[in-house]
Amino acid sequence: MSAVELKSVTKRYGDFLAISEQSLSIHDGEFLVLLGPSGCGKTTMMRMIAGLEEITGGDLLIAGERANDKPPKDRDIAMVFQNYGLYPHMTVADNIGYPLKLRGVSRANRTEMIEAVAQKVELTPYLKRRPAELSGGQRQRVALARAIIRRPKLFLMDEPLSNLDAKLRVTMRTEIKHLHHELKVTTVYVTHDQMEAMTLANRIAVLNKGVIVQLDTPEKIYSEPADLFVAEFIGSPSMNLIPGRIAGGVFEGQGVRIPGIDHAGRDDVVLGVRPEDLSLSPSGDAHISAPLYAVELTGESTLVTVRFEKTNICARGPADFRAEIDDTISMNARIDRLHLFDGASGKRLRR
Amino acid sequence: MRDRYLKYSLLLPAFVIVMATTFYPLAYSFVTSLREWKLARHRTPQGFVGLQNYAQAFSDETFLEALATTAIFVVASVVLTVVLSVLLALLLRRTGRLHTFTRIIIILPFAMSPALIGVSYRFMFNPEFGVLAKGIGALVPALDGVAWLATPTLAMTVLVLTDVWHWTPYMTFLCLGGLASIPRSTEEAAQIDGASSLRVFFDILLPQMRNVVLVVAVLKTIFALKMFDQVVTLTGGGPGRSTETLAYFVFNIGFKWYDMGYASALAYILTGIMMIVSIWYVRLLLADRKMATA
Amino acid sequence: MKRSTVFWWLERLALVLVCIIALFPIVWMFMTAFKSGRDAYDLSLFFKPTFDNFLTVFRPPWNLGSMLWNSIVVATLTVVIAVPAAALAAYAFSRFHFHAKKSMFFAVIATQFIPATVIVLPFFLMFRNLGLLDTRTALVVVNLAIVTPFVIWMIKGFIDAIPVDSEEAAMMDGASRLRVIRDIVLPMAAPGILTSAIFCFILTWNEFLFALILTRREALTLPVGLVSFRTERGDLWELMSAAGVMITVPIFIMAILIQKHFTRGMTAGAIK
Repeated sequence: MSAVELKSVTKRYGDFLAISEQSLSIHDGEFLVLLGPSGCGKTTMMRMIAGLEEITGGDLLIAGERANDKPPKDRDIAMVFQNYGLYPHMTVADNIGYPLKLRGVSRANRTEMIEAVAQKVELTPYLKRRPAELSGGQRQRVALARAIIRRPKLFLMDEPLSNLDAKLRVTMRTEIKHLHHELKVTTVYVTHDQMEAMTLANRIAVLNKGVIVQLDTPEKIYSEPADLFVAEFIGSPSMNLIPGRIAGGVFEGQGVRIPGIDHAGRDDVVLGVRPEDLSLSPSGDAHISAPLYAVELTGESTLVTVRFEKTNICARGPADFRAEIDDTISMNARIDRLHLFDGASGKRLRR
Repeated sequence: MRDRYLKYSLLLPAFVIVMATTFYPLAYSFVTSLREWKLARHRTPQGFVGLQNYAQAFSDETFLEALATTAIFVVASVVLTVVLSVLLALLLRRTGRLHTFTRIIIILPFAMSPALIGVSYRFMFNPEFGVLAKGIGALVPALDGVAWLATPTLAMTVLVLTDVWHWTPYMTFLCLGGLASIPRSTEEAAQIDGASSLRVFFDILLPQMRNVVLVVAVLKTIFALKMFDQVVTLTGGGPGRSTETLAYFVFNIGFKWYDMGYASALAYILTGIMMIVSIWYVRLLLADRKMATA
Repeated sequence: MKRSTVFWWLERLALVLVCIIALFPIVWMFMTAFKSGRDAYDLSLFFKPTFDNFLTVFRPPWNLGSMLWNSIVVATLTVVIAVPAAALAAYAFSRFHFHAKKSMFFAVIATQFIPATVIVLPFFLMFRNLGLLDTRTALVVVNLAIVTPFVIWMIKGFIDAIPVDSEEAAMMDGASRLRVIRDIVLPMAAPGILTSAIFCFILTWNEFLFALILTRREALTLPVGLVSFRTERGDLWELMSAAGVMITVPIFIMAILIQKHFTRGMTAGAIK
């Protein structure tokens, strides 16, 4: 039995169809990430699981029971909000203990449990403070503590790291991953940051415009994106997408000519190749030949971008790469790491 | 969801209060306006006369006079209040001890009972011992010894003055709120582009305050149409009828002459005017919200 | 940004001028209240202050004491009834979706824009029939009419400004909606509700029209009491000023106490 199941779930706001008959099965104990750009419906989907939004159509099952009409408080779910949702007029200790207070846990027991949890998230010195006196990262940990104190069946996290600065985000990411490993609670995590998704998830559900476009492990999503949207969304820097055609086993596009393609001839295709699968070749007869557009040093490598007419192609080169803008640069692609998509539908083409 | 019952029950107490205290009297008033009822002579209303009371109003010279008087009052007080509020808001928006102090002080005229304001100004403009009458008389010889409240134009002036004095603080706070929502960066960008303070005001601030100023103007119009207390305590409608605004006129018809039917009709005419203005206000509010989210 | 010294002085001058204009009538009234009968008509700045006026107005025939009591009772009762009802309604308007929400809200606001004269006539007739003329009850009922929609509007403005997140978090934590209102919303909205309550008090305290029409002797409130100082001999300004001081001092104290929230309260909901 899966922990959470969405069966043909629909969400409508008046005339606007936000989510249309989507199904999703979340396994017990897994860390599932809902990933997508703003407005794709990921937060709506999570809020439906939480009970903060009404489900227009379809069924939501939590631990096998239909939960559409259950109020949030009866669903045994804990949620961490993007803006933390702390209670500003209560101390940190009271914030963390509130779920227990609602359930009638005695003060003595409460204090014990609060202290235990506070220790786990390293908030012990702050228990008597008010949220306003804490930093963003500390507030985040209060929200986490409040969520884990009751050992719910399900964790929901709505972009919990997006309000933190970059360095703190990385630290908290590791903390969340470790916490999940320790507590083993099923977690649904919403984010638009593909890096967070890749590092945290057991499986990722990529959403676009209210539709789940791909549901897979991070590895699969990275190596076999289901369509152009996923291909472009995952990976930083993004996958290079080059429109063109295949004839006689050769792909031809703007400034690009790659022989050895094992695919039937086709007029309208898009070739995808990740920057790390392109290597710079000294000169001459290479797959890609175009003038240099930009060079970006990242520290451990260089991002080399060439531009032919309107298309940019980016390769990850060695850190010591040097050249002048407008010099002609040649690149070779790894044939076994190419992706092909149908130009019209954007879907992945089988080899 | 289950919240359905809750949300209506939350509304219920307030709903009952508003229904009983506002909608019921409104309906009653409307019905009365369609009847002939001179309370002084008959305890109960006489028969229905349809729209006769309304028709009577438009042929009643004193009513039309009151209409004109109200128009003068409203225009004068609205224009003055709007201009002063905008200027005051510009003055008060910076930080500083004196600024904060002034912001607190100006709450007082607003907190003061309008009836009391009328009394107070009546005292201060008394030709024999009124401090303002004497003070202005000393500065402007032409106005020395003049009977302020016995001269039609001057009485109206003082009436407008009391209203402006009372309402400008509130409107200033509205303008301050409007100014605060203009991002500093637009102003700073203009300053860097080389605009003088005057230009910044006219080109940058004022256009972005357009909505607030409109809201202030409409609100002030509504409050000016409602204005009543000061007419009673300052001028009593006089001299003659020169400060008899519509609200006061209706009051007289109802509670001096006790002509209930006619008074109700007149009250409804005044309501009609105010409704039109207030619909305009709500439209402004909604349009502003759309602009804010755009 | 550095401004030239001239501007700086002009600005301070303007501010002082504004303060003088705002305070002058009030100060003059206060001074007159402490002047003896003769000094009041004297325009003198220096005088021997006396409490006589205050003592006089509390005695018959003016009996300011009973008027003061009436004002206190009416204003307090109005606040006690209106504010809780309004707070609940404001929460509902702020957080829930209603089919007719816009028109319901408009109806609520529209009541503010109805001239009092429309409402007072039926009330007068109704109270006359019920024998409730010249009672404090009548005044409370009528003041509720004026004040309730305004307070709903104000409190809604304050509740709108509270982020929903904390409420949703509480619901996830296991609180029912009513519990959320009690534990989370009310504490967070407390300053706003207090401000609205005081606003409500001030409006009722200063209310004149209804009191003028609906009271004769027993239920007179302070503002109407002012008018009783007009005699055939002329207006007794020093007594009127003393009464004026009684009317304004409580209000000024309250206004100053909440002045920080006042500005937000006065404009909450008005523009945004």
